[in-house]
Amino acid sequence: MISIRSPKGYDFSIQGAPQDLVEKAPLPATVGVLPERIPFIKPRLAVKSGDPVAIGDLLFTDKSDDRIRFLSPGGGHVEAIHFGPRRVIREVVIRCASDDEPAQSLTTPITPQDIDRCPRADLVAHLLKGGVWPLLQSLPFRAIADPEVQPPAIYVGLDAREPFQVPPRRYLEGHKALFEFGLRALRRLCPTVHVHADPADRAFCDAHQEVITHAVRGRYPADDPGVVLFHIRRSSEDNPSWFIKGQDVLLLAEMLQTGRYPTKRLYAVAGTGVANPRYVASRLGAPLKSLLGAVACSSPRYALGGILRGYAGDPDGHMGFYETSVTVLPEPETGDFLTLFRPGLDKPTYSRTFLSALRRTPLAMTTNVNGGRRACIACGYCAEVCPVNIWPQMTFKSILAEEVEEYLAHGLLDCVECGLCSYVCPSKIELAAVLRDAKHAYRKEQA
Amino acid sequence: MNVLRNIFDALRPRFEEGGPYHKLYAFYEAIETIFFGPVEPTKGLPHVRDSLDVKRFMALVIVALIPHLCFGIYNTGFQSRLASGLATSFGPVVWCGVWLVMPMVIVTYVVGFAWEILFAVVRKHEISEGLFVSCMLFPLTLPPGTPLWQVALGISFGIVIGKEVFGGTGRNFLNPALTGRAFLYFAYPASLSGDQVWTVLSAGRTSVVDAFTAATPLSVSASTPATQTVEETLSSVGYSALKLFGGLYPGSVGGTATVLCLLGGLFLIFLGIASYRIILGGVLGVLCTGFFMNLVAGPDSAPYLSLNPFYHLLMGGSAFGIVYMTTDPVTATHMKHVKWVYGFMCGMLTVLIRVFNPAFPEGVGLAILFMNVFNPLLDHIEVQIRMRRRIPNV
Repeated sequence: MISIRSPKGYDFSIQGAPQDLVEKAPLPATVGVLPERIPFIKPRLAVKSGDPVAIGDLLFTDKSDDRIRFLSPGGGHVEAIHFGPRRVIREVVIRCASDDEPAQSLTTPITPQDIDRCPRADLVAHLLKGGVWPLLQSLPFRAIADPEVQPPAIYVGLDAREPFQVPPRRYLEGHKALFEFGLRALRRLCPTVHVHADPADRAFCDAHQEVITHAVRGRYPADDPGVVLFHIRRSSEDNPSWFIKGQDVLLLAEMLQTGRYPTKRLYAVAGTGVANPRYVASRLGAPLKSLLGAVACSSPRYALGGILRGYAGDPDGHMGFYETSVTVLPEPETGDFLTLFRPGLDKPTYSRTFLSALRRTPLAMTTNVNGGRRACIACGYCAEVCPVNIWPQMTFKSILAEEVEEYLAHGLLDCVECGLCSYVCPSKIELAAVLRDAKHAYRKEQA
Repeated sequence: MNVLRNIFDALRPRFEEGGPYHKLYAFYEAIETIFFGPVEPTKGLPHVRDSLDVKRFMALVIVALIPHLCFGIYNTGFQSRLASGLATSFGPVVWCGVWLVMPMVIVTYVVGFAWEILFAVVRKHEISEGLFVSCMLFPLTLPPGTPLWQVALGISFGIVIGKEVFGGTGRNFLNPALTGRAFLYFAYPASLSGDQVWTVLSAGRTSVVDAFTAATPLSVSASTPATQTVEETLSSVGYSALKLFGGLYPGSVGGTATVLCLLGGLFLIFLGIASYRIILGGVLGVLCTGFFMNLVAGPDSAPYLSLNPFYHLLMGGSAFGIVYMTTDPVTATHMKHVKWVYGFMCGMLTVLIRVFNPAFPEGVGLAILFMNVFNPLLDHIEVQIRMRRRIPNV
């Protein structure tokens, strides 16, 4: 196990952490798939409203590569297909009739004995057919991995430092053999597989020490594959590595072992806005309502996937393909009276300008911007927290000036989209969004 | 609180889009956010934002400057009554100081705020709080007797030419308060230099009483006779090191008390608002240059060269400049490591100007303005060096 340290970043101390217990949710009435939230694909629907579907039936493919398939996580019929502005496909909703697996499996199962001898091309075909290929994503753009490409390495993140995620010791509980099978499968795709975990959870690291290759100490987002890559890469050839989340390795392994589309998901349901924060074992694409239980605030924000990197979900909608957490925070309602003159014992902050900096108790957070928009005053906080040593205060200016070579040389593509630069900015500049949009624009130009 | 909330809620529509006073929205917003924190939901990536905003950032600098203002009021009153041969009991001194200093502060704020409102309305942005810091700093750098029309002119130049023409706070490259100060210095040297401007006489007196030294420590130092050391000359007119540290001597309104600069600097460093790199760099720059001049000073050179380097930090506005002026984040270097260079150069130039340029007794303001101009270059150098070390990702 190689020990590395990510010196920057920031640890949040927020109220509403999930209790350490797993609740088993019953079979939900509907499940959904959110094509809009799958990065960079152009979905081509294979079903229409009213069609009967079984678990593992094709729902849509990617127009630019129809081998990238997205399958149904539930059996029943397609209840609705929701479109957004400009006919973007928001959601495919399936009304579940039964939890029965279809008689026919998608692919021939691969036994643990065979996996090390399985040819790479066959394995790729299995993963594509089984609808789990999109779980593999590639850096730096975090797009779905290209099946034709052999990456320099695959990063498996056994870590969850963004508030609030399912810790790996929870989702790996009782699935150690399956996880190791998944890692062996990944090694068939690429011989170099880095498994990184947080050494702070010593019991977990000891239990899985034979598979963990890197112990990454540090604050959020030290769990991000991009950050680990940034610290261990030797040359620019390491940059287009792939990554997959720990929980997704289980889906991939289960698909290969059974030949069927896996549907189990463990979600973290947290935040001050839910009455009972906890982990919920449910289905891929579970409806939000089935997970949340009682909501404890009047105007909630449902952040799917985390309060930094996630997106705002629809309470009547479903969980996305990648997201394993929903954090509910109250939207701001009224401004605090004389907040400027208060010492701020209860104000969460990265800086040391509130008395809360002196204590380490979890604080309540809202989705308030907490200030007016100003020009950059070059306080330098963003560069202090950036985990990959970008200087967002410089880079965002060169992005606005369209100096492409300059911002690429600053390391724009190393950006892990963690959102910390925006979080700490006292001028409330949307730094993370500017950097991410520039990355996406560059990708579009390259394609 | 609810009453206030209701008042603001009733007024808000008049200043919003479509209201009769929409053009003055920036003004309304500035007033409202003093009482009630702004409310605006985030758009995601990230969903949460830090509690710190520019308003609090700048307000804390003003908090650090309030002791300087209070001390400046006391010191101005004290020197005025002392020079006029009046009793220096606390009450009358403060009263006298308030009458001398507060008009300058009020004129600065009124004029500066008017310019900021004008530009905010024309440019349709909110009022940036950097202005309030500039307006607090500016009168503290002036001699106490500066005519109010010059104060108004100086802050106008500082705000408009030093800041607004480049786009406002965050886009300026010169410290606005120092720009205004330098403008006054060169435009009206008669009211801003010489030994007479640092003390304002009270009670209709036209000349100082005999025992009073009107010359500032800097001009005493610069005119030390060759037979004496500067320290001896300073203490012969009553400027001991302790007195210089305490700041109770004629000088600019707020810049004399080195002890307050020390405390204010520690306060701002502790809060993470001022860069310790710049401040330490500045202190090092002053001390190293002073020490280097001690080394090169021969028996025939001016006594100023042999001055104990710490005196350069105690006298005049160098400590004030290093703590409050160099650390303006917008006009300082934006990259981390060159902040040391920037601070050091400011300190070094301060001492060089003081010692070698007889036309300028004090050099800190000009040194900082000079280095402000170089900061983009320093940033460019650091960016280039650090980009070269990076493993490229293109």
